[in-house]
Amino acid sequence: MAKKITGPQLILANRLDDGRAVFLTATGTWSNAAADAAVADNEAELDTLMTVAQAADLANFVVSVTPVAADTSNGVTAPAHIKFAMQARGPSVRADLGYQVSPNWEQ
Amino acid sequence: MYAYDTYDHAMVNARVAEFRDQVDRRMKGELTEEEFRPLRLMNGLYLQLHAYMLRVAIPYGTLSAGQMRKLAHVARKYDKGYGHFTTRQNIQYNWPKLSETPDILQELSDVEMHAIQTSGNCIRNVTTDQFAGAAADEVADPRPYAELIRQWSTFHPEFSFLPRKFKIAITGAAEDRAAVKWHDIGLVLKQNEAGEVGFEVLAGGGMGRTPVIAKSMREFLPISDMLSYLEAMLRVYNEQGRRDNKYKARIKILVDAMGIDEYRRQVDAEWEKIRHVPIDVPEEEVARIKAFFAPPPLPVLADAATEVDELENANFVFKAWLANNTGAHKVPGHAHVTISLKPHGGIPGDATDEQMDLVADLADAYSQSEIRVSHEQNLILPHVAKSDLPALWSKLDEAGLGTPNAGLLTDIIACPGLDYCSLANTRSIPIAQTITERFDDIKRLMDIGPLKIKISGCINSCGHHHAGHIGILGVDRRGEENYQLLLGGSGAEDASKAAILGPGFNEAGIVDAVEKVVAVYLGEREDDETFLSAYRRLGPDVFKEAVYGTD
Ligand code: SF4
Repeated sequence: MAKKITGPQLILANRLDDGRAVFLTATGTWSNAAADAAVADNEAELDTLMTVAQAADLANFVVSVTPVAADTSNGVTAPAHIKFAMQARGPSVRADLGYQVSPNWEQ
Repeated sequence: MYAYDTYDHAMVNARVAEFRDQVDRRMKGELTEEEFRPLRLMNGLYLQLHAYMLRVAIPYGTLSAGQMRKLAHVARKYDKGYGHFTTRQNIQYNWPKLSETPDILQELSDVEMHAIQTSGNCIRNVTTDQFAGAAADEVADPRPYAELIRQWSTFHPEFSFLPRKFKIAITGAAEDRAAVKWHDIGLVLKQNEAGEVGFEVLAGGGMGRTPVIAKSMREFLPISDMLSYLEAMLRVYNEQGRRDNKYKARIKILVDAMGIDEYRRQVDAEWEKIRHVPIDVPEEEVARIKAFFAPPPLPVLADAATEVDELENANFVFKAWLANNTGAHKVPGHAHVTISLKPHGGIPGDATDEQMDLVADLADAYSQSEIRVSHEQNLILPHVAKSDLPALWSKLDEAGLGTPNAGLLTDIIACPGLDYCSLANTRSIPIAQTITERFDDIKRLMDIGPLKIKISGCINSCGHHHAGHIGILGVDRRGEENYQLLLGGSGAEDASKAAILGPGFNEAGIVDAVEKVVAVYLGEREDDETFLSAYRRLGPDVFKEAVYGTD
């Protein structure tokens, strides 16, 4: 059953191995960048995205799959709520380390 | 320090092997996240906003130099080169990979460390006075009893699935530096009229959304009855604690609902049933444990050291450090030293791998290879000869560890908040950073005097805001960060709950509000009245007026 939504949504998860916050894209891949996130504008679209996301969960690629409100107002997709926006941006401290993720993951 | 016996080694190693297998099965998909989550939590591994977080236990905040070096190594090899010391006297790593956590735990086990009892609804690691065994004002060293409680509580089959987490704190000094009245159970070592040492037992304290100060259960409990009495207290709670509602499941709610007298009556009845079965350990065992914590063989030295006097006269920063960051030791000619992890503009409680290595080296050179972690997120060298203080200070200062602000306004407790924590409403660290930058003048700070600011990013209160002279609590206001200001709390022997002053602020507003509150204090204080005494005398209105205006 489609979940009732009140505005555009995107799908956020953490990668299983290093926990990094990732966003489901329109092609079914996961991106580090919220700007790449696929946006669902209605319940049916959200259902489709959730099916793809849950398959990745079952395949042990991601955990904690969560649909969250998206903010698309200035042309760049981002999570609307401060908490999920922080997941997209990374910690606001230790800027000297850049976005701090596992050093081995991206290779 | 306590040294593992073969049982401890076998137990911790078996736990690492078991967790390695569980992680392996999770990575292969043989365990679902739902199945795996409670298993990883039992090993201190949380999933936070951006990564996993591993919380490593530092039982009662006591570390050897070798253990500190291992913590530095873990930060360097498996993390991003730093760790965060917490208000539970533990350390958290913010960036471990799931697949590498068994290796981390194995490395920790090699130096008698682990992540057991750092999570879950069990009896958590016991916390204590960071100056235990060193402070001139203590009745007895609380660490042997903390260790006994550790041995009794670790994997206690009856208390592994309590209604909620359970925190015990113990102090051996009348000046409470361990916030015992804010714990589920607080133990205060005392001497009775006959000169015997025992405990005052307090119960039902806690922070979170319902802050409660613990009430006295017994004025004096003989040491020989400690474990059986604790067992009776836990049993009554385990049976009657509210398992139906997570927000009402802590012992503070139970004690509040039934009243301390009824709780005491039920505990006494339970105690009668069990006190004669061998739960309490024989005297020889207590003596064996105590021997691990025997005072180091420090020579009695002259209390005055010319090197200290000379530098004190020549260097104001050293003079301030001496006044704020060192304290009276049991053995004449020595001091305990607080290494501030609160550089102005820095992150409270964070230390880099290099700093950890340096602290280990300095502990070897100057402090009998011993280190402590305080709940105020600083490190302590407990046994330093006064004549070594100038050399020690200059090495600390060079490494950014010489900030002379222990106990002052910028010695802020701040939880990780929304920069890391998945439960957070707001960030905490940047507020602490901005406040310390705003008050970046040691003369001004010394004029203000003792003032404890404590910041939590949500009502879970890891940053102890309820006990702050000035407390700051982050709340979610329609998806945006908002900060409430609280005044008048205390975590010491005169424990009190801080009260909310008025409506919340944004990030810039809360820092301005703190400055206004401090200005009121400076204008109104009498003689050498501290901030807390002045607030208690004046009440909130004059502060409210300054912060919010008259209308
Ligand atoms: S107080 Fe809240 S935000 Fe801060 S560490 Fe605890 S749970 Fe996280």
